[in-house]
Amino acid sequence: MKSHIFKLSAAVAGICLGTVAMAEFPERAVTIVVPFSAGGGTDITARVLAGPMADALGTEVVVKNTDGAGGTIGAAATAAARDDGYTVGLLPVGPMTTQPHLRNLPYGPDSFDYVCLAYSAPSAIVVRKDSEFNSLADMIEFGKENPDVLNFGVQAIGSIPHVAGLGLADAAGIDFTYVPYAGSGPTFTAMLDGSVHMFVAHVSFLTTNADQVKSIALLSDERISTASDLKTAGEQGVDMNFPIWGGLVVPKGVDPEVRDKLETACEAGVNSDAFVERMESLGTPVVYMGGDEFESFVRAEFERNDGLLSAAGLKAE
Amino acid sequence: MDAFVLGLDHIATVQTLMAIVIGTLVGVTVGVLPGLGSVIGITMVLPFTFAMGQMPAIALMLGVYCGSVYGGSISAIVINTPGTPQAAATALDGFPMAQRGEADLAIGWATAASVLGGLFSVIVLILAAPQLAAFSLNFTAIENFALGCFALICIASVSQGNMAKGLMSGVLGLFVASIGLDHVTGDMRFTFGSFQMAAGISLIPAVVGLFALSEVFIRASEARLPKPEITHKVGFRLPALREWKPRLWLLLKSCTIGSFVGTLPGTGAATAAFISYSEARRTSPNRENMGKGEPDGIVASESANNAVTGSVMVPTLALGIPGDPVTAVMLGTLIVHGVTPGPRLFSENIDIVYAIFVILIAVNLVMFVVGALGAQAFTRALRIPEPLLMTMVMVVALLGAYGVRGNALDLIIAFGAGIVGFALRKGGFPLAPLVIGMVLSQMIENSLRQGLLLTRGDFFAFFERPIALALFVITFLILVWPLLRALWVRRRYWKPS
Repeated sequence: MKSHIFKLSAAVAGICLGTVAMAEFPERAVTIVVPFSAGGGTDITARVLAGPMADALGTEVVVKNTDGAGGTIGAAATAAARDDGYTVGLLPVGPMTTQPHLRNLPYGPDSFDYVCLAYSAPSAIVVRKDSEFNSLADMIEFGKENPDVLNFGVQAIGSIPHVAGLGLADAAGIDFTYVPYAGSGPTFTAMLDGSVHMFVAHVSFLTTNADQVKSIALLSDERISTASDLKTAGEQGVDMNFPIWGGLVVPKGVDPEVRDKLETACEAGVNSDAFVERMESLGTPVVYMGGDEFESFVRAEFERNDGLLSAAGLKAE
Repeated sequence: MDAFVLGLDHIATVQTLMAIVIGTLVGVTVGVLPGLGSVIGITMVLPFTFAMGQMPAIALMLGVYCGSVYGGSISAIVINTPGTPQAAATALDGFPMAQRGEADLAIGWATAASVLGGLFSVIVLILAAPQLAAFSLNFTAIENFALGCFALICIASVSQGNMAKGLMSGVLGLFVASIGLDHVTGDMRFTFGSFQMAAGISLIPAVVGLFALSEVFIRASEARLPKPEITHKVGFRLPALREWKPRLWLLLKSCTIGSFVGTLPGTGAATAAFISYSEARRTSPNRENMGKGEPDGIVASESANNAVTGSVMVPTLALGIPGDPVTAVMLGTLIVHGVTPGPRLFSENIDIVYAIFVILIAVNLVMFVVGALGAQAFTRALRIPEPLLMTMVMVVALLGAYGVRGNALDLIIAFGAGIVGFALRKGGFPLAPLVIGMVLSQMIENSLRQGLLLTRGDFFAFFERPIALALFVITFLILVWPLLRALWVRRRYWKPS
């Protein structure tokens, strides 16, 4: 008797499991985890992307803000989510490629399967409009003549702007005192009041604050159309490429078919009118990478930042 | 003026206008219910704001805040139990008036005085906040550190009753906020290796626990009081214009006191109402009747406590420094909705600032209508069975705690904070310094360390900056003032011998 019940329940369980596996993804809402608070740049981008992605997937796409500890809480939540493809993380460069070096985190590049790169924009070194520095060379020369004077504002320790500063100091053979402020707004304020000489910002910052700031170098391999006369750091003799990017990932182990569906939806989302408009409003080109390309890109960035953070002594034991 | 039009433009949507009305209604109701103060009111509407746009969310919160400060007066008058501590002074004359059968008139006085006080303080806010913001725009880390010290000391010196307990609460707040990521070095502090703790103890779950849950626990731990009987005729009757004439000076003075007290960090509407009440008791031509149902008492208390509502927003909006737990929660919620108060808000999003001004004016006008039409209805809220009410508070407050960051740990934090809040209240420790400490902690610590980085570790360079020096001197004087006064009194006492 007992074994009959067992067999029966095994059969029922088998049918149930079978149905789950056969069901067409997606059969319910997909959640995009944004590791920062609502209203921020990443959040707005995620919400713009969610609309057209929902149309492409034929299901609802919900944005969930899981904020905290420099984006690592949301990234860890994505890594730990069930690998059914219904939880997707929109993870930016910081939590993906710098934070895991700074301290022990319950995730790393191996914790994810990669869906797509959704945006990538160059960063730039920003100084005050009335600054005496008009080129990278001016600043480097000043730094060499006046050691221990230059203050470099950073939005957070170990953030991409900080890593870029470390890279610049290393390449140019000068030293900066890094002063951490809480995000771009306060860092910008600190530059306006003269506390810090420069900081690294998303290139859109130059257009939104054109009357107060100028840039001395674009930290990218190529110039950008919205600021076509801004020289890249490479043109000025210091090769530096620090894009500010973000992309969709799913927990490791998601069914490749499901991942492909998400990738297709992501591509449709990135090329949708609403998303293109959002990128235009930021003055940045639309950039897209498929999952495989995105994965190798993330791994390369991860390695590069590992080197820079180790050299600066910021790497966790 | 253009900015005003922009502000009007912002709020001229159905959602925002509805949020103003609903917020005020909820606020007055929460105010009427004893024990549920402004803080609990705001934390209760918090989860609903997550689904709203920026402006409706702000409107809802401001409506709840202003409404709750006013609502407390209704229960103070009708059942002699102030719905909020801010309205405690209102009961002194309001209830005797009600006993005389003039509850409707007392509510009329309270409503009119509240609305006038509220509007007065919005004017103060409109005049003062942009100036303060412009002045502080060039504050560097060093000035911010001095400002943080100043704000902290103010809190300590106004912790009524037991200064030592107030200080301990404040220090606890400073400590709790240091848990998690150290912003200056990127290290983790007091997380005991727990990854979840890296996010730190965020303000809103903590406040939800400290205020809302601890209130629930306290109610559960105490014997239930019999439901108050409402025997008086409750209604609304505006006092005649000639009654107002001799009280104009009193009204103006009370509004000024309220607005001034509101701008000081760490004080609040309750302090303002009592200062204003005792001032009226000292100088009013009707002082003989005060305490026996004299409208002067209601006017003094209600205009002063509502005059705090706008002016308390001055440091909150202009400097990003909240003056009391209510504005601390509001600040947290504003940030959730993408508005970061501080000097930059005024230079970059002046339209939002003006929208807040316009909302505050609208809330006060709505409050008048709500009070006039619904005073009777609000007293019915007093009949809600307590267990039902407390369950509601708990569910909604926890929703808010979870929703801010979508982190389940925040529920544990809220419960923990609830137990801590319960214990602190039982032990006679004030909770406000704890919350203010939590809010100021990062600002004080980060600005100190940023300043030291900028001066390459030279602390004396802090005193070379005039504004910072002035703030340090004022802080020091406030700190030693009680000592100096004691010495002076003693010297006078000794002289004759």
